[in-house]
Amino acid sequence: MSPTTFHRIAAIGAVLATGAALTACSSSPAPGEDGSASEGSTTSKITFWDPYPQHKEGSAWDEHVKECAPDGATITRTSAPQTDLFNQLTSAVKEGNAPDIVVLDNPMMPSAVGAKLLATAEQAGISTDDVDENLLGPGVVDDVAYGVPFGSNALGLYYNADVLAAAGVDPASITDWDSLNAALAKVVAAGSKGITFSGVAGEEGVFQFLPWFWGAGADLEDISSENAVSAGQLISDWVGEGYAPKSVTTDNQSAAWDLFLTGEYGFAVNGSWFAAAASDADFATGVVPIPARDGGVAPVPTGGEFAVAPIQDDDASDHYANAAAVIDCLTSGDAAMKTAETLGYLSAKPDVRAQQVAENPLWGPWVSSVEGAEGRTTDLGGAYVDVSASLSEAIQGALNAAGDPAGVKAAFENASGY
Amino acid sequence: MSEVTATRALVTRGSRPPRGTRITRGSAPAGVRRRPHSTTWIALAFAAPLVAYLILFYAYPLVQNVIMSMHRFDRNTFVNGGAPFVGFDIYGEVASQPRFWPVVRQTAIFTIASLALQYVFGLTLAVFFHRAGFRLAAGLRALFLVPWLLPVIVSGTTWQWIMNADNGILNTFLGIFGVDPVWWLSTDTSLISVIIANVWLGIPFNLVILYSGLQNIPADLYEAASLDGASAWQQFWRVTMPLLKPVTLITLLLGLVYTLKVVDVIWIMTAGTGTSQTLATWSYGLAFGKGTSSVIRYSEASVVGTILLLVALVFGFIYIAVQRRQED
Amino acid sequence: MTARSWWKLPLALLLTALMLFPVYWMVNVSFTSRDSIRKGQLIPLDFTLDHYAVVLHDQLPYLGTSLLVGLGTVLLTLAVAAPSAFALARLALPGRTLLNFLLIVAQMVPAVVMSLGFYSIYSKAGLLNTIPGLILADSTIAVPFAVMLLSAFMAGLPGELMQAAQLDGASTWRTFRSIVLPMSRNSLITAALFAFLWAWSDFLFASTLNREGGALRPITMGIYNYIGAQNQEWGPMMATAVVASLPAAVLLIVAQRYVAAGVTAGAVKD
Repeated sequence: MSPTTFHRIAAIGAVLATGAALTACSSSPAPGEDGSASEGSTTSKITFWDPYPQHKEGSAWDEHVKECAPDGATITRTSAPQTDLFNQLTSAVKEGNAPDIVVLDNPMMPSAVGAKLLATAEQAGISTDDVDENLLGPGVVDDVAYGVPFGSNALGLYYNADVLAAAGVDPASITDWDSLNAALAKVVAAGSKGITFSGVAGEEGVFQFLPWFWGAGADLEDISSENAVSAGQLISDWVGEGYAPKSVTTDNQSAAWDLFLTGEYGFAVNGSWFAAAASDADFATGVVPIPARDGGVAPVPTGGEFAVAPIQDDDASDHYANAAAVIDCLTSGDAAMKTAETLGYLSAKPDVRAQQVAENPLWGPWVSSVEGAEGRTTDLGGAYVDVSASLSEAIQGALNAAGDPAGVKAAFENASGY
Repeated sequence: MSEVTATRALVTRGSRPPRGTRITRGSAPAGVRRRPHSTTWIALAFAAPLVAYLILFYAYPLVQNVIMSMHRFDRNTFVNGGAPFVGFDIYGEVASQPRFWPVVRQTAIFTIASLALQYVFGLTLAVFFHRAGFRLAAGLRALFLVPWLLPVIVSGTTWQWIMNADNGILNTFLGIFGVDPVWWLSTDTSLISVIIANVWLGIPFNLVILYSGLQNIPADLYEAASLDGASAWQQFWRVTMPLLKPVTLITLLLGLVYTLKVVDVIWIMTAGTGTSQTLATWSYGLAFGKGTSSVIRYSEASVVGTILLLVALVFGFIYIAVQRRQED
Repeated sequence: MTARSWWKLPLALLLTALMLFPVYWMVNVSFTSRDSIRKGQLIPLDFTLDHYAVVLHDQLPYLGTSLLVGLGTVLLTLAVAAPSAFALARLALPGRTLLNFLLIVAQMVPAVVMSLGFYSIYSKAGLLNTIPGLILADSTIAVPFAVMLLSAFMAGLPGELMQAAQLDGASTWRTFRSIVLPMSRNSLITAALFAFLWAWSDFLFASTLNREGGALRPITMGIYNYIGAQNQEWGPMMATAVVASLPAAVLLIVAQRYVAAGVTAGAVKD
């Protein structure tokens, strides 16, 4: 281009660079360290963010939340998928217009705390009494609690009773990996398809894989151990033998459930949130706990979200008072039961849970899984996200290897999360 | 001016109007009072909204992006400030990632294949519908734009189901011809799968622009050529293609720019896994903590984004150079 | 038409059918109940109208917003682009080459980068969760392209008419309004078409800048009502896409006539 044009471009570039340097110098306001719920009073407008867009305006959950507004206040509730919600929260805290209450997925808690996005439970007046320790774990960072879980869901092994009966498989006989594989072989030989699960890239796939991972005795501190590789080999073989559909690499849990609903599959690894849908299906269903490799019940990861109060810059005490009031309302008394039932979770408080089971026999098979669930971030804290990233890569590699042992081993040894 | 020159003047599509039809400072016809200075001011006034627009909405985010790529940001420092300045360190780190060069190669393949196929299909369809002569032509051509109306989440997922390895309609169709089922979305073949879906999405754009370009070519040129004994094929190469050159250039350039930015359709089909990962999807995953890793890497995302920008810039320069040579 | 081209219509129909096959699949799924969605059946054997009932109940306000945002984007885009294109093409604007180059560069900026920057600006300007704000953001997708398209066309217009108007004493603005704009009608409609389609299908800006807009969100976000944390409802999503495409398809077919007439129609011949 002509010299004049070039000079013009250079001049503009210089102006922009100077302007940008000035912008870079000004930093965002420091996080509000002051403020406590006890010092503030509730305001008339309360904003509530949760990751349940399926519960639209007018749905049971929506009404339940809005009923928990303190006198004279109204709650505005909006939803977004979990990762988006977290990113939106990040931008909002940065700009100083964070909502009063956010419901955040439990493995995100250490990252949120590390980025100084959240007020402590004490600051925000959130009570963590009577909550099971294993479920509270993900929300405790450096011995400080940051929020309270509404409840937990758990993973289980659903089965299509009709398909199993036709194949001559007794669900009670599935107690370890060998018996599971034998059952799958029988189901496929009888003309049905085997098992659906989600191996999608990201935390959802890792969530689904952890019962097999932990059930093989592997530890998140070392994902290239022999036990870890054996868990990877298990799911890889399912794809290779045709027991599991090849779409597991891109199916999330909902898509895997859609496959199970077609009635063509014998088994589905999926969560307790589908328990009601399972009982309504066209075919008879049941659920057994996920077996560990050599017998016993495999530990499942804790599911569910935490109710937290984000850091506020202005009028922090009032915002925290809002959070205290609403979260307290949602997690105590009869409302706690309603919260758990509406969301399809088993409550994080044992007495409420017992009540749930008494009133709804659907929950019976899930109680032991929830009580034995392990937090993903409880031990690793903020380091979990990197482990999860590597594990997700390993899972994807193993599934794509479709049973090839060298491929599975390489996937687990070479996984780097970047 | 003769008729041919006049029509050729209509046809040239450079940024500068053809000689002889331009209102410039110095070439006002005799008899009109010259007012050179006010013309410039008027021109600036007409263009002012655009310039303000560009500075406000493009320059600022762009500069932010480059700044971010030279500081080490994480979620904490993004919110609370204090990210250290590291110069070009992160560029080095990104470039030395084991997946960097494969991703660059995949981006190149994705872009070139998409562009080539979209252009060829778009041109074929444009020529087919041009002077088509059957009544439904306009309606059918409008229907070709429908893929653009659909939210990408829907069209992406539909393609994902069409390409399902076990019961997808594509494998069923190939099975009719005796082809074994292909695992379209596996690590190795996911690049081909997303190229197919992206080409499908890109045909409408090419069709519309190329069709408009074809309309610009006066029919008498074709008549003259066929009078001289040229076959349809020869007419295409000797008349159509040369006169379509400016339109082709702009279509390819814009197509390149848009294809480099494509994230949605790849993301929905494969979450950017395997060979379908391009610089754009990598940047997206890094910026928002999506895909295998939920760690947000703002700086690394900005670095990859800046690299993308530089690649596009290079092609922008090439376009300007080619366009200038065309006008001379 | 000559006998030679009798095959054109069936071939055109075949090509259109191939191109629109994914759309057919979408419609297929929208009429299939959830149990059978993943069965891969070619026709909706497990037929249901439930999804459409849900959509018509939920999504109409979002459709209205989308239409509003789409049309607003068209108006804003043309208002910014047309005068600038005229200046670029016919008014000997100083720095033409640079501006052209910047227009290309502007289109290279990834939308992700833009939306993060926009959030910051909008937050400070109080434009978050407003329709004008969204229109402004969506227009950034279309303006550079519209300027390039319009200036390319306007450059090809015959200068005689404009010179004649100048001889008659018309101001530049008058020339622009009364002569250039009408002659550019087809390219304006083409630019409007692209602007509308891009605004219609935008998700990134809507989700970043308008997340709390309630009913004032476009259909691309309305569809996300069916994407829950662990549960996605594909039937209603496909039905939403079908319902959402209809008004836009109608607009397309109407506009296509003007684009189809060719960019030289309306231009004066020697």
